Amino acid sequence: MTKSRGVYMKAKLAALLVGTGLLLAARPLVAHHAFAAEFDADKPITLTGAVTKIQWTNPHAWFYIDVKDETGTVTNWGLEMGSPNGLMRSGWTRNSMKLGEVVTVEASRAKNGSNSANAKAVTLKSTGQRLFAASSQQP
Amino acid sequence: MKRWFIVAALAAIVAALSPSLFAQWPLWPIPGVPKGTDGKPNLTAPAPRTADGKPDFSGIWMRYDDPEPNGTPPGRPPLVKGGNAGVGFKDGLPFQPWAADLQKKRAAEGGLNDPDGLCLPQGPLQYHIDPQPLKIVQMPRQIFIIYESNYGFRTIYMDGRPLPPQGEPQPYWHGYSIGRWEGDTLVVESNNFHGVDPSQFHGVEPDGFHGVGWLDHRGSPYTEAMKLTERFRRVNYGELDIEFTVDDAKAYTRPFTVRVSQHVVADGSELIEFICHENQMFLKLTGRDNSGGPPR
Repeated sequence: MTKSRGVYMKAKLAALLVGTGLLLAARPLVAHHAFAAEFDADKPITLTGAVTKIQWTNPHAWFYIDVKDETGTVTNWGLEMGSPNGLMRSGWTRNSMKLGEVVTVEASRAKNGSNSANAKAVTLKSTGQRLFAASSQQP
Repeated sequence: MKRWFIVAALAAIVAALSPSLFAQWPLWPIPGVPKGTDGKPNLTAPAPRTADGKPDFSGIWMRYDDPEPNGTPPGRPPLVKGGNAGVGFKDGLPFQPWAADLQKKRAAEGGLNDPDGLCLPQGPLQYHIDPQPLKIVQMPRQIFIIYESNYGFRTIYMDGRPLPPQGEPQPYWHGYSIGRWEGDTLVVESNNFHGVDPSQFHGVEPDGFHGVGWLDHRGSPYTEAMKLTERFRRVNYGELDIEFTVDDAKAYTRPFTVRVSQHVVADGSELIEFICHENQMFLKLTGRDNSGGPPR
């Protein structure tokens, strides 16, 4: 087997394993930015909604979801993840989440009271796959 | 084959594989990686050497989180853990009174002005403990260290030049570094760092010094007077040991030494570009300007 073919096989194996929806090992791959200055670990929140915008950007990827409350009011929330580097090393690609897809996010709210939060994990409703978000909350 | 066995086997494979295997960044095998009889990299093989016989530090390195679960070996300086340089000392770091005040204030703010969050160059110890990898490029007359985080870049001159007199050049975010060999140890001395000016600290972070002089993520400060000595040892193929001595009489009552451990990244992955200012929401969420940096 040539070296490049070995790499290709490894990539295929990785894709297969990700495809099985197995839980990926959580490791503190990204601690970028001062989590405690922005977010409150004592204000956890779980949000479910359809993805309206994805920003695959440095220093942190952000995505936005429309969350409907019990009265039917829709609020758009912004969720911070790790850097694209950290997310890629955790098994994400920029196509892991798609516009319109319904996701459930485990997060910590922003200290400034806005509808923003730091995502720790994202579960894709379509597959049940739960991905860690390379959150800077990890030590 | 029974289903449970397949599931268990897959789980075992996932547990055994490093997360970098999942990365979509192209992998390309590194030549010369020593292999064991099982074909896997032999990380305890001897360190490679350059043509002139010196240990070769070149490669991608990543913070090693807990290399000594049984504690610090006798006679060795304590490891930096959890972003805290002083965690291994019974009484913490030997701060001067003003430096202790500033550190407390920075820690209480949750890292509001940590250069990491501001997309500014981190302190030299912060870079060594960052969870993003670094790359060492070793040449006979100079050595480069490139940090993925915030694109830190250091040049270590190996050509025999002395350190410039303290205060003569403008202070550099990454300092001015020269290196020499003591046996197989690379000794790097640095000075003229951009640091906090204690005469401007009156209980609040001085204007114009946001993100400056952060030794660790607890906000332990350093000044322009800091003389830094780093002793790099490639213990074996897989491990890099760095002793880090801070001598800064303006901020600390005595010099102290801490240690950082790095492990090699041998799977063929590379640094990935990191353009920190692309979408800087940190300043916006902390009530500050979102167009060009913190308020001055």
